[in-house]
Amino acid sequence: MRGNTISQSSNTNLEAEWSQMLFEGATQMHDVIRLENVYTTYEGEKRPAIRNMNLTVNSNEFIYVVGPNAAGKTTLLETINGLLPPSRGKVYVFGQDVRKNGRKVRCQIGYVPQDFIVDPGEPYTALDVVLMGMYGKIGILRKPDRRDLNKVTRIMKLLGVDELANRPMGKLSGGQQQKMMIARALAKEPKLLLLDEPFSNLDIDSRQRIPSFIERLHEENGMTIIIVTHNISEISKRCERIVAMDNGEKITDEKLMERPFLLKELYQILGMEVSSRYGLS
Amino acid sequence: MQRALVGCVLAGLLTGLLGVFVVKMKISSMGYCMSHGAFAGAALGVAMAVDPLTTALVFSSITALFIGPIADKARLHADVITSIVFPLNMALAFVFLTLSPEVGLKTDVANVLWGSVLSITYPDAVYLTSICATTLALIFLFWKEFFAIMFDRKLAEADGISTKPFVYFIIFLTGFVVTLSLKLVGGLLIFALLFNPASTTLQFSHNMKRIVFLSPIVGAVTCVSGLFVSLFLDLPVGSCIVLVSTFVFALAVLLSPKRRRR
Repeated sequence: MRGNTISQSSNTNLEAEWSQMLFEGATQMHDVIRLENVYTTYEGEKRPAIRNMNLTVNSNEFIYVVGPNAAGKTTLLETINGLLPPSRGKVYVFGQDVRKNGRKVRCQIGYVPQDFIVDPGEPYTALDVVLMGMYGKIGILRKPDRRDLNKVTRIMKLLGVDELANRPMGKLSGGQQQKMMIARALAKEPKLLLLDEPFSNLDIDSRQRIPSFIERLHEENGMTIIIVTHNISEISKRCERIVAMDNGEKITDEKLMERPFLLKELYQILGMEVSSRYGLS
Repeated sequence: MQRALVGCVLAGLLTGLLGVFVVKMKISSMGYCMSHGAFAGAALGVAMAVDPLTTALVFSSITALFIGPIADKARLHADVITSIVFPLNMALAFVFLTLSPEVGLKTDVANVLWGSVLSITYPDAVYLTSICATTLALIFLFWKEFFAIMFDRKLAEADGISTKPFVYFIIFLTGFVVTLSLKLVGGLLIFALLFNPASTTLQFSHNMKRIVFLSPIVGAVTCVSGLFVSLFLDLPVGSCIVLVSTFVFALAVLLSPKRRRR
């Protein structure tokens, strides 16, 4: 169990520090993301992976993007952070056109890709990988200093993986690697967090603790968070808004408060995974 | 002989160092293209009776300038682009060599094909030294960017690093280093110098900094060993260097702690 649990009592001070440390400007912002009639097509493909996407996300929102496999959820995240250029339409993040200012925008976005597993022979320690998350924000020609290292160590401690810092990344379990990737995304102190199926490899204990840690980040620091999942049972009870996608299109975009039975409807429409937690199965 | 030794050490250091970046950035196929681009350029120089080094530099620079952006922009996988450019360069090289009136006999032709470490001149050594110093300085300055790109280019981009200039720089530098090392093993075997030391060192360490430090040493040692083996057995230098470095790689695979069962 080494490194697998988060000791809540010992982390109270750390979390307070984390709250202080983060995002002074984040709560001031509106319109964090704006997509206008966006189409994104992969190279060599004729059919767009997302079509006619219009989406506005305000600051401090906590959104889940749901949909079956190949619905276009990952494409949506990668279009938002500019990794995939849209073939049509406009993408603005923090008020900036992602096509023109992608690098600058990405320095403020924490991104956890789907199923990112490192080969066991790869010559990178877990600490190397987490620290890399800060490199863009640190900027060119400056090396990470002790302050950066302390910050990263603190995040790893919060996620309960600090003891694994010097082990080769590829030798860690899938769940441990996933926590490291979350730590990496948080290392740059992002204003916007994009998580693509971030809990899929976690053990049962971590599946409860890591989402509640992310919920606290949202509540206490006002971080805007978008989580992609194909599993409705993973949706946090604190989630405010659901965007459902199918076949590259947005089929629903609603606040849960206004549609309490939305999850049940989605389950019936999309045939997605769900647990008894919501009394739907 | 002194110049040959200096050439072996410098080219071994440089190709060993650069090989780590080429392998870890997963642009090995571009490395093949660059090495054969230099080879085609040198062959053109021989055919036109001008300095093969100059034409090799021009050819590899042109290949470097085009191959990166083409791989990024074209709606084709990078492997497809390199699979087309690689035989194209080889075909051009053989056409140019055939145009040379004394093909097969002329020393320059043989040098381009198989290398001739004993023909390394003083300016060659100066070029290699200056490229070595520049490369080390740039890698030191931009280490964190290279490090992140070698881990995963897409993630590095997601973290706000502009990866293109760094990847293109490595491709361009590969062209230069390959061209300057052409005299060592020749155009047909040059890529072994690029990949064998890096692949050997990667068998032993989980620490990237250590790999970047050790790979050039392995490169230099295998080059010098190959030179002595060739002198001792009276065999071509280039072939001996490649045989030694492949033998060392095979040993590394056998002894690698990464392959032992836990």
